[in-house]
Amino acid sequence: MDLLAYLDPGSGSMILQIIAGGLAAVAVTAKLYWNRLLRLLRIRKDDEAAPPADQQRTDSA
Amino acid sequence: MDTSTENHAQAPAAESEPGSFRDPESRIFYAGGDVYRALSADGLADFEALRATGLFERFQADGRLVRTELVEDTSAVPADLLPTGAAGLLRHERIPFVSYPYEWTFSMLRDAALLQLDLTLAALDEGMILKDSTPYNVQFRGAKPVFVDVGSFERLREGEPWVGYRQFCMLYLYPLLLQAAKGVEFHPWLRGSINGITPAQMRGMVSFRDRFRRGFFLNVFMHAKLEARHADRGKEVKAEVKQAGFKKELIVANVRRMRKLVASLGWDPPKGVWVAYGERNSYSGEDAARKDEFVREVVTSQPWNLTWDIGANNGRYSRIAAEGSKAVLAVDADQGPVELLYRTLREEGDERILTLTMNLADPSPSLGWRGLERRDMAARGKPDLVLALALIHHVTIAANVPVAEFVDWLASLGTALVIEFPTREDPMVKKLLGPKREGLHPDYERVSFERVLAAAFDVERRERSKSGTRLLYFARPKGAGSPIDLTAPEG
Repeated sequence: MDLLAYLDPGSGSMILQIIAGGLAAVAVTAKLYWNRLLRLLRIRKDDEAAPPADQQRTDSA
Repeated sequence: MDTSTENHAQAPAAESEPGSFRDPESRIFYAGGDVYRALSADGLADFEALRATGLFERFQADGRLVRTELVEDTSAVPADLLPTGAAGLLRHERIPFVSYPYEWTFSMLRDAALLQLDLTLAALDEGMILKDSTPYNVQFRGAKPVFVDVGSFERLREGEPWVGYRQFCMLYLYPLLLQAAKGVEFHPWLRGSINGITPAQMRGMVSFRDRFRRGFFLNVFMHAKLEARHADRGKEVKAEVKQAGFKKELIVANVRRMRKLVASLGWDPPKGVWVAYGERNSYSGEDAARKDEFVREVVTSQPWNLTWDIGANNGRYSRIAAEGSKAVLAVDADQGPVELLYRTLREEGDERILTLTMNLADPSPSLGWRGLERRDMAARGKPDLVLALALIHHVTIAANVPVAEFVDWLASLGTALVIEFPTREDPMVKKLLGPKREGLHPDYERVSFERVLAAAFDVERRERSKSGTRLLYFARPKGAGSPIDLTAPEG
């Protein structure tokens, strides 16, 4: 995936945001680790299920 | 010169802002005394998205966003200013004097941080976000922070985190935490690095017990640890985060949490500063009244554009200067009184007096890429009037700058000048000379000072205080005034 920002958000900083997000983050965190587990068990391939990288503007989120 | 303007006779020569190059979608340039922002196609689409929300109008109306208008004709944009060419052009209101975070007091940096976070929250509400978090995007109109980078608003891309979080920590949060929790002034750190303090550096500066202070555990300790652990797997982490579906709610939760943290931070000057500040309006005696009057007469004798009150202390004379100046800089090396002055002015809603803290013997240098991203004081706007009251003995005796050097620097600004000279008999001068070896600073003497002053300026007026140990002078740039004879007896 390509980040379109000119500023590097920082890998550690991104993970921290997930941890710090508290309750709002629980679901995301779970999914993150679930995906990691699936990959570890080779149930899912690396890029599977990743949505196309372009056109991801959220007006509705 | 660029060729794009040749066909348009009215288009004035453009000069690009050397500090505006980091964001490829949006670049600043100047033409005909106006400030312009060229936008790429993407940048223009983001601007249109911002304009479609109510935020653009609302924030301009309440003064939080720099006044901005869309210019239809983009032909004035210098060629090659934007890597992808210019699709749109904005014109901005000019801020009277550009200042930098390492010149702000604690509350100024905190207010800028809160503005940044409030705009981010409001933007998120509308499906937008700010693409960066740098205090260089905030300027001050008097005591009011103004967000000047309209190009920072962009449409939120699904799955992306708060990209500016790390930058917010480095340039806002860590400097504020250092001063609030550790009592370490943040200025040398911000001046020392244009990108601020890294999580690892901040981690190295705090102690185990800081872990239990609010905001430190997550934003400093965890942040540094995670950054070290994931340093070389940037791409994978980004992919994982995106795949996990980073939601807007998560960003909102983080920005809100940050806002609460920043709002909880405070710093107060030492007690003595409060006491002195409280007494600022109670100077008594004929000397104080005469000095007020002297300054007021000069300030109101003609309109002034920009007055620098250097060594402003509690701002007594900055306030008088504001009676006749469009904009006033109140500068002092001591952050304490400047902080209190800022708070008072903020309460009053002042839009004229900009408070800055800086040591004149070690002033803000030019910094950043090619030494042009951040400029020294004079490059940002020369004054047409300088007040140097109760200052020269500090610069020349305490900081060892030769008297002639100091006067020469003032003359190099091409400004009119009100300067106060306390003689060697003055109690404050005695105190400063006290610890020095006998015979030092022979140039600090009235007759030689007057000779140096008269060589560099046209001195139009001189007045001695009742106590006899202080003299006030009003001078214009050489050749611009009608000088009096300083060797003649006072009268």
